[in-house]
Amino acid sequence: MKRYNLAVIGAGPAGLSAAIEAKKHGMKNVAVFDENSRPGGQLFKQIHKFFGSKEHKAKERGFRIGEELLTEARELGVDVHLKAVVEGIYYPMKRLGVVENDSLTNYSADNVIIATGANENFIPFDGWTLPGVMGAGAAQTMMNLNGVMPGNRILMVGSGNVGLVVSFQLLQAGCDVVAVIDAAQRIGGYGVHASKLSRAGVPFLVSHTVVKAEGSDHVTGATIAKVDEHFKVIKGTEKHLDVDTICMAVGLSPMSKLAAMTGCEMVDKGGAVPKTDKYGATSIEGLYAAGDVAGIEEASSAMITGRISALAAAKKDGYVTEEEFKNEYDELNNSINKLRKGMFSHENKGRTDLTKTDEGYELSQTLLSKGYVADNEINSFPGVDDDIKGVHPVIECTQNIPCNPCQDACKFGCIMVGDDITSLPEVNKKSKCTNCGMCVASCSGQAIFLVNNDYEPGFASVTLPYEFLPVPAVGDVGVGLDRSGHKVCKAEVVEVRKNPAFDHTTLLTIKVPRDMSMKARFYKGMEATL
Amino acid sequence: MRIKSHPIIDDFKKGRLVKFTYNGKEMTGYEGEPIAAALKAAGVMIHRYTKKKKEPRGIFCAIGRCTDCVMVVNGKPNTRTCVTALEEGMTVETQYGVSAKKEG
Ligand SMILES: Cc1cc2nc3c(=O)[nH]c(=O)nc-3n(C[C@H](O)[C@H](O)[C@H](O)COP(=O)(O)OP(=O)(O)OC[C@H]3O[C@@H](n4cnc5c(N)ncnc54)[C@H](O)[C@@H]3O)c2cc1C
Ligand code: SF4
Ligand code: SF4
Ligand code: FES
Repeated sequence: MKRYNLAVIGAGPAGLSAAIEAKKHGMKNVAVFDENSRPGGQLFKQIHKFFGSKEHKAKERGFRIGEELLTEARELGVDVHLKAVVEGIYYPMKRLGVVENDSLTNYSADNVIIATGANENFIPFDGWTLPGVMGAGAAQTMMNLNGVMPGNRILMVGSGNVGLVVSFQLLQAGCDVVAVIDAAQRIGGYGVHASKLSRAGVPFLVSHTVVKAEGSDHVTGATIAKVDEHFKVIKGTEKHLDVDTICMAVGLSPMSKLAAMTGCEMVDKGGAVPKTDKYGATSIEGLYAAGDVAGIEEASSAMITGRISALAAAKKDGYVTEEEFKNEYDELNNSINKLRKGMFSHENKGRTDLTKTDEGYELSQTLLSKGYVADNEINSFPGVDDDIKGVHPVIECTQNIPCNPCQDACKFGCIMVGDDITSLPEVNKKSKCTNCGMCVASCSGQAIFLVNNDYEPGFASVTLPYEFLPVPAVGDVGVGLDRSGHKVCKAEVVEVRKNPAFDHTTLLTIKVPRDMSMKARFYKGMEATL
Repeated sequence: MRIKSHPIIDDFKKGRLVKFTYNGKEMTGYEGEPIAAALKAAGVMIHRYTKKKKEPRGIFCAIGRCTDCVMVVNGKPNTRTCVTALEEGMTVETQYGVSAKKEG
């Protein structure tokens, strides 16, 4: 029986990072097992730029982070077993049963890190088993991995980050997102994610649920209805939506079956998860849990928890000294704590009483209920100052989220987030913007615009991030859409910037009437008329 | 429908185009992609009917966990089409209950 110093189950961000960390500390035989033919876990479906800061690989697109981790793991000599389903972990024998190529192989492992990720949740409703109803993750797999549109007209159920991100990706794949609904009274995910959808014309309906998938052998429509504060459907508010696909993004649950099998102590954390200490160690010696399986978070934090568990295993078996351990742990712990702050952190999740940012700015209520910051709210934020002459950044990032690539992007000091990465970005009036565009392309939330009120007499220019096809050409005339997706003015494309450093984000500059410079935030081509 | 061009993904890295049959009808798809992707691209929604209530099922999780997408592939029932790679000449059939034949 092959023996490993460390066996990792799951090749997602947590698992791959754990294996890399273990190898770096000199563990000889390290293996990662994953049931898929492609490693990377959830990362390979994520085509958007990530949040966080540089150390968390912010502003890189998820799938690239996956590729990087994989390359690093392979270079370090990690044994990556693909199409390998771990069926059982057996203690005290420290044995793993793995089904590879239809046959069962046993491995022994001094240490095991469970990094099996999470499962999507589903809510049953009338007709929910019809073909055409699917998980948001399924839609993501179809479009981003297989290159096939999940449907043409989509209803997204759930407005957490997964629902928001997948909705945007559906638009990028060429689908129509008819609405994003949520039973809660507030949009659950980041405002910047919601705003991208709103300005492209996707409506949000909070306090709404899906009551029926219409159709006899596949989805031909959806019935939605309003719900009261107890999530009960309000009779008479039913409404038909013309859709062919219903995507559910109603949360994730840790995939902790394997962990439970080992007999380690379990606790309830939005689903049963193995009870772990701050190093991810379970109640069984040498068994660790990292990433989503230990509590749903993000890929950025999964990478860190994976490393922490591997570090702890390395220390236990004498690969690192007590001092090395302490230093590295402190560093990793610092890094993860930066991510665990802000309006969407665990401690603030689901809070409905928050009305102000950490700095004391009034939160945009329109953003929370409709998915965009209203015209009369936007000027109060520190990233927005429209009195600046010439080209200047307008940063429409209004909630405390762990993110700061904008600050790093501006080499000229125009954008300040500060040490605390959840702080709102501020415009620094004293520094002169050079119109380089790096901030627009680097912003993971696509929340930065460059405005020039002195473009031409009577006209202003607005530069916006654009990640759709076809890319408009200079000279095209179309319409400018405001933050809510309404057409507000004629817009002429005056510049189209592409640059490898922008990583597939095109910078579109449109010319709009002067009084529209703080309103127009999206461009639609000629097919859209005023 | 297939995504012909994508603003972020330059290349979906597909294998060669191969023929297979779906309920006896000839279709094409890319070698190595999940059977379910080739079917979806061709507009097929129903993969199977449940045994008792004869309800239609299609792609639901797309990662091999829910078994909604199982079909009879090369004569083998209960094949999860979302995680089974398409090969040239495969026969893919709608599954009724546990077989490729409509019952009752
Ligand atoms: C739709 C969606 C969108 C998301 N968007 C973002 C985002 O924008 N930014 C962000 O930071 N996070 C995002 N997340 C969250 C992020 O992807 C996860 O937090 C992260 O991937 C968790 O990493 P992980 O390594 O714990 O698990 P995963 O990435 O889920 O990897 C676990 C792996 O283990 C495998 N596995 C499970 N059981 C077994 C077994 N028994 N045998 C073998 N292999 C097994 C799984 O197949 C999987 O490949 C998103 C999640 C989802 C579902
Ligand atoms: S365009 Fe360039 S100079 Fe201007 S704020 Fe953005 S990064 Fe700074
Ligand atoms: S403005 Fe800065 S902090 Fe806000 S989403 Fe963009 S990059 Fe992140
Ligand atoms: S769609 Fe769930 S197993 Fe294939």
